[in-house]
Amino acid sequence: MNSLLTRYRSVLVLIAGLAVITLLIRDNTVWLDTSVVIAIYSLIALSVGISYGQAGILSVAQAAFASVGAYATAIVTARYDLPAALGLLLALLLPPLIAYPLARVVTRLNALSLAIATLVFGQAFDIILREGGDFTGGYIGLSGIPPLPYASGLLQFHFVAWAAVLIIAVLLSNLIDSPFGRATNTLRADTLRAVADGVNVPHVRSAILAFSASVAGLGGWLYAHHIAYIGPDSLGPSVSLSVLLMAVVGGAQTVLGPIIGAALLTLLFKFIPSQEVQGMFYGGALIAVLVLTPNGLMGLRTVFGKRAKSPSVKAERPTTKVAAGAATVRGAS
Amino acid sequence: MYELLEFSSRGILLGVTYGLLAFPISLLFIATDTVDLAVGAYAVLGGAVAMFVGGSVNPAVGILMGILVAVLASAAIGSISLMLGRRQKGDPLVLVLASFGFAIFLESVVLTLFGKDPFIRQPFTYFWNIAGIRISPQAGVNVAIGLLLVVAVYVLLYRTSWGRDVRASANNERAALLAGIPVRALRFSAFVLAGLLAGIAGVLVLYTSGMDFASGMHLTLAGFGAAIVFGLHGPLRGFFGGLAIGVVETVSAGYANGGLASLVPLLFIFAVLTLGRGGRQGPAGVRA
Repeated sequence: MNSLLTRYRSVLVLIAGLAVITLLIRDNTVWLDTSVVIAIYSLIALSVGISYGQAGILSVAQAAFASVGAYATAIVTARYDLPAALGLLLALLLPPLIAYPLARVVTRLNALSLAIATLVFGQAFDIILREGGDFTGGYIGLSGIPPLPYASGLLQFHFVAWAAVLIIAVLLSNLIDSPFGRATNTLRADTLRAVADGVNVPHVRSAILAFSASVAGLGGWLYAHHIAYIGPDSLGPSVSLSVLLMAVVGGAQTVLGPIIGAALLTLLFKFIPSQEVQGMFYGGALIAVLVLTPNGLMGLRTVFGKRAKSPSVKAERPTTKVAAGAATVRGAS
Repeated sequence: MYELLEFSSRGILLGVTYGLLAFPISLLFIATDTVDLAVGAYAVLGGAVAMFVGGSVNPAVGILMGILVAVLASAAIGSISLMLGRRQKGDPLVLVLASFGFAIFLESVVLTLFGKDPFIRQPFTYFWNIAGIRISPQAGVNVAIGLLLVVAVYVLLYRTSWGRDVRASANNERAALLAGIPVRALRFSAFVLAGLLAGIAGVLVLYTSGMDFASGMHLTLAGFGAAIVFGLHGPLRGFFGGLAIGVVETVSAGYANGGLASLVPLLFIFAVLTLGRGGRQGPAGVRA
């Protein structure tokens, strides 16, 4: 019982926070709308937390995976009048079906080439969307995506969106506390060590990216049904950057970090005067966070003495000794 | 046949600029073991400044200003990499992430200052006619500058003590430090040099096919593709890699859909990554 409490501490904190916030904003449409947007960004930021935070995979195309989900549901619901549940199924399945092979063919112990591969995917997907003609709506995009039948009101949508976030938070807590999660953390900290421990690095890395893509796809599904429109610029490279920023600001290795980051940056974003300077803000903030607090806001807890107990923190960066050992092995081979 | 030749010659024109963008990428990879995703953004910044300063003052001043601004931008990411290096030892992905942020930052700067319209200048109004194929004199300028820079970069990396020290610190940072090589200063100088090369490439793109504020990432990827097609080992290979990608891109643009042709450099990169050449030669991940 006690260990379950420890495992789900972040989820419980999230439920408590949500209960208070829901009571406060339940009649205010503006804040409910903001809350739904935060939930959607939280999902995509959590997908960054899963890939980058847990496995050390830098994917610069998380928004593109979300976009796959959004387009999938947009095409089946708006064009063919099929139920949104089918859209959800596609949004959950298609992104990992792209992500797993993408990672599997590229990954050879090398995190850098995987990062480049995600960038290639993001750019290629953007070109395909724009050249897709009627099927993807080209430059104009697809509009008239119907609202969810069981969440027509904003308050219901708020519940649906945050329920999705809670489910992912539970899954992520389970992952962190499982042998698979520990293997994932090991390969983030030291790939060579993970290989030596018998971890199937290409499979684990690809599976984590696939899971993360699926979570992003879920975010995209909610996005499409909330905004009712999806275009090539809706979930483009700048969104990929902002969700990376959200995860890094909050602390990518924790469960709550990406959600806190998403909330914080969405609220701050309301004060940015124009669309054009958005990139300056996000880009500048990302660099500042990387330089100042590499572990994000949740990482500050450890700085101020209160050492986090979650097992994910144990997998710190490799010590110099291990790194030197790795270099020797590489030199010898 | 005639068409094919014309498309190929246009491809060489485009490919030279890709080849030029491959220099800063392979240089930084050789020197710092990581990839700077903002290289294309320096080129766009340089090109945009060259266009606007050149338009209001004098083209030559504009070109110099453009290159200077690109150098300043890359010096900024160089300083950031030093600051990051102090905190996060040896994780090349953190710099990739920071440079991604910087690329979006610069894209937004260019959009705010210079707007959405494409940046392009084509000063040559006449064409050379070589065996029935019309070639812009700009092609000659591009090829000449490209070859000049290939030689210059090669000499710098393989025939000077600076180049030897840079290669040493990339290969084994610890050993280089122990041998008294100022690794941090060298790393910074490699960034500055990369900015210079990217700035020159940006000005040539401005005078060739043009660009807009959002071209940065495409240029980075084209340069990256050029750099890895024949292996990340040397600048010369990057140059010919650029030519190859440029020719395939224009030929497929000529015979197929123009928009889809810009997928070509991406497919090149993906093929190389899949075959694992980039992976095997990229020590970054293995260093863990």
